Amino acid sequence: MTAAEVLKPPVAPAAAAHRNPAGIRLAWLHLRSRRVPAAVLALAACGALLHAALHWHWAFNSGRYAQQVPMIIEAGAAAVIAVTAHSPFGETERATGRWLPYLRLLAAIGLTGLAILALQLGAAGENLNGGIGVLARNVIGFTGLGLLCSLVTGGLLAWTLPMGYMAFCQYALLEGWTAPSTWPVRPAADRGAWICACAVFATGLLLVTIRGPRTRLSDDS
Amino acid sequence: MPLPRSARALRLEFKRNAVPYVLPLLAAVFVFDTLRTADGFAPIWALRASAITDHMLFEFGAFAGGLAAWAGSREGRRKTVDLVATTPRPAWARRSIALTGTLCWLLLAFLAGVAALYIQTAVQATWGGPPLWPVLVGAVGVTVVTVIGFTCGVLFPWRFTAPLVAVGVLVLDQTGFREALGVTASSGTYALLSPANVPPVVDAGVYHHAAPDLSIVQVMFMGGIAVALFGVLGLVPERRRLAVASARAALARSGGWLLRAVAVILVACGVAASWTAFALAGTAKPDPVGGWEIPALHSAASDQPVPATQDCTSSSGFQVCVHPAFSFYLHDLATALDPVAAEIAGLPGAPTGAKEVASVSGGQDVQSGTAANPPVFEFTAERVGAMFGQFNGIRDWAGWTPGFQQGLLDAFLTGRPPHPGPVPILLGPAQQAVEDALLTAVGSQPLNPNVHSAGVSAAARRFAALPASARHAWLATHLTALRAGAITLAQIP
Repeated sequence: MTAAEVLKPPVAPAAAAHRNPAGIRLAWLHLRSRRVPAAVLALAACGALLHAALHWHWAFNSGRYAQQVPMIIEAGAAAVIAVTAHSPFGETERATGRWLPYLRLLAAIGLTGLAILALQLGAAGENLNGGIGVLARNVIGFTGLGLLCSLVTGGLLAWTLPMGYMAFCQYALLEGWTAPSTWPVRPAADRGAWICACAVFATGLLLVTIRGPRTRLSDDS
Repeated sequence: MPLPRSARALRLEFKRNAVPYVLPLLAAVFVFDTLRTADGFAPIWALRASAITDHMLFEFGAFAGGLAAWAGSREGRRKTVDLVATTPRPAWARRSIALTGTLCWLLLAFLAGVAALYIQTAVQATWGGPPLWPVLVGAVGVTVVTVIGFTCGVLFPWRFTAPLVAVGVLVLDQTGFREALGVTASSGTYALLSPANVPPVVDAGVYHHAAPDLSIVQVMFMGGIAVALFGVLGLVPERRRLAVASARAALARSGGWLLRAVAVILVACGVAASWTAFALAGTAKPDPVGGWEIPALHSAASDQPVPATQDCTSSSGFQVCVHPAFSFYLHDLATALDPVAAEIAGLPGAPTGAKEVASVSGGQDVQSGTAANPPVFEFTAERVGAMFGQFNGIRDWAGWTPGFQQGLLDAFLTGRPPHPGPVPILLGPAQQAVEDALLTAVGSQPLNPNVHSAGVSAAARRFAALPASARHAWLATHLTALRAGAITLAQIP
């Protein structure tokens, strides 16, 4: 054995020639590190839960109470998205390149779209109070809250703020509040509610894209 | 003196637990939901306490389930299962410490919330004391949700377990609430196991003791589930071990035979308690005072009336009496009724006073009316005339005044005695016209004047325009015929 053999670059295996482009592989690794495949399953579970709730009438059919159970599930789907913001690599990952913000942005937007799709499929053929408009607006707004929360608590505890705000909105729902800031309880055509929800989502998305969720050397307790 | 090992581990758990970080958010939700809702109720202890199970449990359930799942999944999430498995303590002991730490924080927060609610009520209430059964039901509810979340966290230590458990708990709560709202004796009463239930009548626990039957069954059901799941935690082996060793070997390492035996006994006891509670809930039947009784648990002593001396006032000879629990608006009530009573004073069957009575009798709502001897207008805290919920969270007294006045006139003009049963039929046209006229005469706006016909309104205006003495004289002559429905609108002067 000579040094020349050691220094000689290894021949790439034939399979490597058929590998995915680096960008796609990077995106896939990013999604896997955020447990996005499991998140998709969790969103599907939320859709199935919504379908079951509507089909077997776990929720009320009409009136203010009818929005309660769908709102809980919408907040749950948003909480799942917020939890995917957590990175297992922490600060180390930030030094690896310039694509990370774009990957975070795409992951958050893609999962929000998937959540709306999953819940819409769950509600298909059933009587969803408020329709797809309210559903989409609530998912968007709750997701924005979750992303904002991840800046403070880190990704893993980012589900707390959407859940807390949803609990508050249950009160606002029964009290008939009409302020746009209580957008989950407003009808689909309420422009102020849409503006509030979209503003929260845009702010959360922007900050998470730029800064990323809070990271600690050790996982929270 | 150094602390015992378990106490030291528990102290560490208290320090590292995630619950304190979420307490500000939980407190904000509690203030906005539970406290504000309870503040909208009349300051009656049983009514205010219903916010514990109907509202507090909802918000605490979400966080208790999620945070307990978070604590339960800690070892799996941090991939320290192998590391901690080398410690001499069994897995059950480790998990128990994490569970106890989480549960203590949550129960502390829950009891602090109850204290805030009860202090608020104590400042406003005029009679009675804090009921403890709703607190116990709520505490056991928080406990069972915590144990469910923790068990899910141990079994599925993923990052999504916490939010999914929170969602599951809330959907379960809402589903139980919906089912409980529709419970009737004929449709099956198992939904009464849901702690979130229909708010009680406004004078629950005021005239009669509130039977604790339902609370006992709920505590037994939820406590049984908690105990059984705690036993399951003792039987669950290290998750990692299942993959690398046989289940039998894993079970062998999950503790000694004594611990396993204790765990099995706990599971059996928990299942038995829950099953018994489930069966008992199926035997529930409405009790005569508006609640539910379970024959196997019911005590006849709880059916006895609560002794109390009514608070009375009689500023103008018309004595108004209410239960001391409602004395906070006795004077407003007297101010509302006095002018109307003066308008009809001295007429045959005119009440000489007004008295509040229990709102449920024989399982039916009591409707207001004039008792015969002595002639006293009897009303309830729930119903006056055709209106209900008068005393429930009253804020705008001026808005309710015509309702009370109309209730008094309804009883006088129809001669109807107080009775349990459905809402009585409306007044006839002539009776309605006279009532509207008398209300107008005392400066009140008749309720819903738009629904009356033009003839009723015209007759009411004519009669109101008469001098008080003329109205009084006409009523003295024609009251019997008016009550019998024999007077037409045209006959009203």
